[in-house]
Amino acid sequence: MSQTVARAERRLLGGVLDAYTATRRFVIRGKRQPDVIFGSLITPVIFVVLFGYVFGSSISVPGGNYRSYLMPGLFAMTVLFSAANVAVAVATDMSEGVVDRFRTLPIARSAIVIGRSLSSLLLGIPVLLVMIACGLAVGWRADNGLGNAVLALLLFELFGFAIGWLGVLVGLLAGSAQAADVIINIPIFLMGFISSVFVDPSKMPAWLRVIANWNPMSALVTAGRQLFGNTIGSPPSGVWSLEHPIATTVALTILIILVVAPICVRLYSHSTR
Amino acid sequence: MTAPAIIAEHLARSFGSTRALVDVSLEVEAGTVCALLGRNGAGKTTAVRVLTTLLPAHGGRARVAGFDVTDDAPQVRARIGVTGQTATMDELLTGVENLETIGRFCHLGAAASRRRAQELLQQFDLIDASRQLVKRYSGGMRRRLDLAASLIHDPQVLFLDEPTTGLDPVSRADMWASIRSLVAGGTTVLLTTQYLDEADRLADTIVVIDRGLVVAMGTPEQLKASIGRPFIRVTLPEADPAVVERVRRLLGEEAEVSGRSISAPAPRGLVTLEEVVAELREMGVPVHEVGLEHPSLDEVFRTVTDHSEPPEGAVTITAVGA
Repeated sequence: MSQTVARAERRLLGGVLDAYTATRRFVIRGKRQPDVIFGSLITPVIFVVLFGYVFGSSISVPGGNYRSYLMPGLFAMTVLFSAANVAVAVATDMSEGVVDRFRTLPIARSAIVIGRSLSSLLLGIPVLLVMIACGLAVGWRADNGLGNAVLALLLFELFGFAIGWLGVLVGLLAGSAQAADVIINIPIFLMGFISSVFVDPSKMPAWLRVIANWNPMSALVTAGRQLFGNTIGSPPSGVWSLEHPIATTVALTILIILVVAPICVRLYSHSTR
Repeated sequence: MTAPAIIAEHLARSFGSTRALVDVSLEVEAGTVCALLGRNGAGKTTAVRVLTTLLPAHGGRARVAGFDVTDDAPQVRARIGVTGQTATMDELLTGVENLETIGRFCHLGAAASRRRAQELLQQFDLIDASRQLVKRYSGGMRRRLDLAASLIHDPQVLFLDEPTTGLDPVSRADMWASIRSLVAGGTTVLLTTQYLDEADRLADTIVVIDRGLVVAMGTPEQLKASIGRPFIRVTLPEADPAVVERVRRLLGEEAEVSGRSISAPAPRGLVTLEEVVAELREMGVPVHEVGLEHPSLDEVFRTVTDHSEPPEGAVTITAVGA
């Protein structure tokens, strides 16, 4: 009995170690792609200009500044878009011999995919920092205390981890990096735009509004607005998911991880490409 | 005597309606080199992928280093090294980072991984390039790094899928030397190749596979002896019937004429060649080309896949202008 426990412990420890090694590899890789880094860091700036000024100039929110309303949405968009990088990277890995190398090593089956989504989280931190800087530059403020602001950022990161698994899934299913790029953009755009990221869903047609209200992105952004103290306009009412945005975000995020991660591990260890 | 390092029994594997492996059985004694010889698409890579736990077999069983490749895959993985046809090193990592990562995945620990990486980089003459990104490596360097990566955990059994395909002659000779020194150290090697000479130089046993079936098996000597004798071929400047007839008579009863070239068995190889050249000179016959021909890999395949008539000589090894 104790022997079984010891073996399980050793396996778990080995798995954690493998995931760490994999994450380390992906982070080193990520740091060596200056073109990707440049693109990722410039994206937040473009977002702020595009949505804050190009569209934002024609959008008014009652009793406040659209750009303050928008910033939590752009944080969410940044972590959402990181899934595309993950999908492309996983599909590229799968089309190269490196996967065969990993699969003939005595490593935990889940380590590579866990490493992939964890590294995307770590590599996303500088991007989020740039986004914060951009927000501060255009007048956005976190008015609800540092503690709540940190909590909000952690929530965005947690969601980024979950959405990273969606990227892994698409990367594993797609036949090529190009296909992965095209396919991942479908959920990204649907989740990003049928939500309260840019506009108030209450003006959408009823069927779209239901989707928007239960979109994890809406919960995440609403939670972010609450924690940052950017609640402008009437608070969402009558919709449970948006009245309890933090609980909804955490629940939906965990649900995504619990559903998608095991599928990814299975797909990865049974892939024969 | 120890148990064979690799035992495969009636392995079968299909991809849709394509039967990549139909029935492959083989045994490789510990500490020896076995070459899987076959054309592109013969099933070599599929066989390696099944034996290295990358691909489940649809039929048959295999044991590698004493463990079943399906039931005990983790134990097999801990004891094998694999170098595939495609490069498996990360282009954005340096040579040393690649090896250290593999070492960590093998749970050697950080310090031991570093030490082992240095040893292998030294052994494979990559120490000067160890801090360069792999994307700057030449084809030969990549293969050596790949091989080094397969050796991090001192595997008992090493699988090399076409280790020299696409390499220049110097890199190929280097690779052969590396493989030989590994075998001298006691490693069992199974390699695949399309080249008869490679199998000849490296292997203790050769298994010829074609369309997913083992069609011949034996030592290089046995295999060559089964293929047939060398041939001599004389090519004349023009197909003058009188001259052709004189040369045909010179070459003996088994000589065959095809246009302006005449060929016949040369049981004594170079000795026969020398004699024939001397006689031709004495006869004053102008000659375009005289050469000794050996059975080629094509002949091996034709011989072992076609069970009717053993065919005869083809590729020219030497040519003497006249």
